[in-house]
Amino acid sequence: MDALRFIARRLVLMIPILFGISILTFVISNTIPGDPARLILGPKATPETLSALQEEMGLNDPLYIQYGNYMAGIFQGDLGQSTYSQRPVSEDLVRYFPATFELTMFAMVITLLIGIPFGIISASRKDKIADQITRVFALMGVAMPAFWLGLLFLLFFYLKIGMFPGSGRLDTGMSPPEYITGMYTVDALLTGNWPVFRSAVMHLVLPGITQAAITIGMITRMTRSSMLEVLGSDYIRTAHAKGGSENRVLYGHALRNGVMPVITLLGMAFGHALGGSILVESVFSWPGLGRYAVNAINYLDFPAVMGVTMLIAVMFILVNLIIDTLYFFIDPRLKHD
Amino acid sequence: MLLEVNDVSLSLRRDGKYSKILDHVSFQVNKGETVGIVGESGCGKSMTALSLMRLLPDKAKLEGSVELQGEKITNYSKRKLEKVRGNQMSMIFQNPLTSLNPLQTVGTQIEESLILHTNMSKKERRVRVLKLLNDVGLPRVEELIDEYPHQLSGGMRQRIMIAIAMACEPQLLICDEPTTALDVTVQAQILELMNEIKEQTQMGIIMITHDMGVVAEVCDRVIVMYAGKVVEEAPVVELFQNPKHPYTRGLLNSIPKLGQRKQKLGSIPGTVPVPENMPVGCRFADRCSHVMDICKSTVPQVTEIKENHQTACWLYDEEGGNKDATTGSNQSQTTLHY
Ligand SMILES: Nc1ncnc2c1ncn2[C@@H]1O[C@H](COP(=O)(O)OP(=O)(O)OP(=O)(O)O)[C@@H](O)[C@H]1O
Ligand SMILES: [Mg+2]
Repeated sequence: MDALRFIARRLVLMIPILFGISILTFVISNTIPGDPARLILGPKATPETLSALQEEMGLNDPLYIQYGNYMAGIFQGDLGQSTYSQRPVSEDLVRYFPATFELTMFAMVITLLIGIPFGIISASRKDKIADQITRVFALMGVAMPAFWLGLLFLLFFYLKIGMFPGSGRLDTGMSPPEYITGMYTVDALLTGNWPVFRSAVMHLVLPGITQAAITIGMITRMTRSSMLEVLGSDYIRTAHAKGGSENRVLYGHALRNGVMPVITLLGMAFGHALGGSILVESVFSWPGLGRYAVNAINYLDFPAVMGVTMLIAVMFILVNLIIDTLYFFIDPRLKHD
Repeated sequence: MLLEVNDVSLSLRRDGKYSKILDHVSFQVNKGETVGIVGESGCGKSMTALSLMRLLPDKAKLEGSVELQGEKITNYSKRKLEKVRGNQMSMIFQNPLTSLNPLQTVGTQIEESLILHTNMSKKERRVRVLKLLNDVGLPRVEELIDEYPHQLSGGMRQRIMIAIAMACEPQLLICDEPTTALDVTVQAQILELMNEIKEQTQMGIIMITHDMGVVAEVCDRVIVMYAGKVVEEAPVVELFQNPKHPYTRGLLNSIPKLGQRKQKLGSIPGTVPVPENMPVGCRFADRCSHVMDICKSTVPQVTEIKENHQTACWLYDEEGGNKDATTGSNQSQTTLHY
């Protein structure tokens, strides 16, 4: 089948991309000044123990040997040992990733629910007051640094009016739901644990909106410009000439065409949100991959940094693959080429 | 009388300033008649058509009246007009490649007119769509109905557009250069189809074109436009044999002799004045080889040459006194080659 061939081709294309990313991260993290061995041993270590550890960690080998060893490990499912947490990196990823994924998915849902309708309203009321307001907010979303917005939210919604909790994933004292996916909302739903579900959702709100601010702005602007382009096209004029009402033309003809390019951007937005989680998680003490990555960088924990980067890269590529496949099904022009 | 257009003027806004695109355009279309609108690019042919459908750009100012079968549709609300569009009055556009929604099957797109304007059941609609596809001369309609526009050629897509326009058997069909984007043989087929439709139905047709060849092939009567004004109107044979306005003569002279239709008009020296900077007198004065003093200062009024033939030119105005009578007839001979 066409679709299967398409997916297979894209999967094969992933391999060189992942290789490229691994080389790049490996080189970058190894050129950061600083010595992980020294960091582990602390300032009081003797030169002998230091050089012994350096030797043991393979830090004296040439870079390409180190890279080769690392990749050899990856193919056996071994991402190395985190020098900071003293656990296998793969174990840490499994532990922290669901929290980040949950937050990111939440942010993406908010992005879709707000960004696309706002973009449509903005385009269909071009230059009117609703459009002006939406555009200002979209621009603010794109331009405002996430950590700053997060701090504002914390100040107002948590400290001042106490509407939403400001840190962590659950109320203090509440125990997490039974581990199924690692995403508390999903697990709570699956086990029918309503108090935990409520708490988990409430904890998602502030970091979710903070993380979504940029992507909402991106998607709103993209939807607006794409819809405007479509609304000016010949087939929209045809639809009007047939006697279709404004709404019929807008939702029956313009929407599907206008949203197509936005779907492509969603992949980018997802990557953006995943990457942005590092800042947001720090602001809201969200125990996810982002905070893990920050610690890993601070402790020159190279295997952990590599692990996180590779995981984010794989996620990013996978999401874009899913989106491209989706595209393949909704745009009849691709099927027949 | 099917359509009566009276003193329609249109102003459009560009860069914050309004400019007058159409100036007191008046004409009529009778049942079963095909009226051509010709003129160089930018003279306002499309805007005339879009004014009738009221499919104008934002912030357009439209004055004057348009009556369709005695109903003054210029007073209609948006809602009421939607019931007229695609139902009593349909339009076909220049570019069939971009005029169809790329994400819908052609069947769905034809069916939409029926959904909007009739109470047909789903089954009846399908039957009607198949018949329409057949009527516009398309092959293997049973498969075609589920195909997407990108799978069809330009000529086929224009036939689909015609099917959409014909779906509710409108009384008036407006065609804005329906064949310009097509290659010559396909053009001829589409024109033939238009002629067939005209004979079978008693529709009035407005045929907008650059192309005097198209005019000769399908039109009964012709309106010549220049810079937003109607400068001459006559039955087709009369216009070809006895064109009066110097602009019309220029248009006819620029037809390639061997009747290749592809060639565009425009061999009249000079350029069309822009709406922002219209001359005070006759708008053609700067390019006219018969220009007189009065042309530059005063707008010529529409004058009847004979029954059904009128033009707005000082050469034929009583007051202008037919000052340049020598140019009247001898030149027209050159235009008979069609
Ligand atoms: N959206 C718009 N805003 C302002 N002016 C416009 C707009 N669209 C067209 N015009 C102007 O209106 C005038 C008439 O345009 P129109 O499209 O009716 O010409 P036309 O006779 O159909 O030409 P063509 O043969 O090239 O199709 C032109 O001077 C054009 O510049
Ligand atoms: Mg035009």
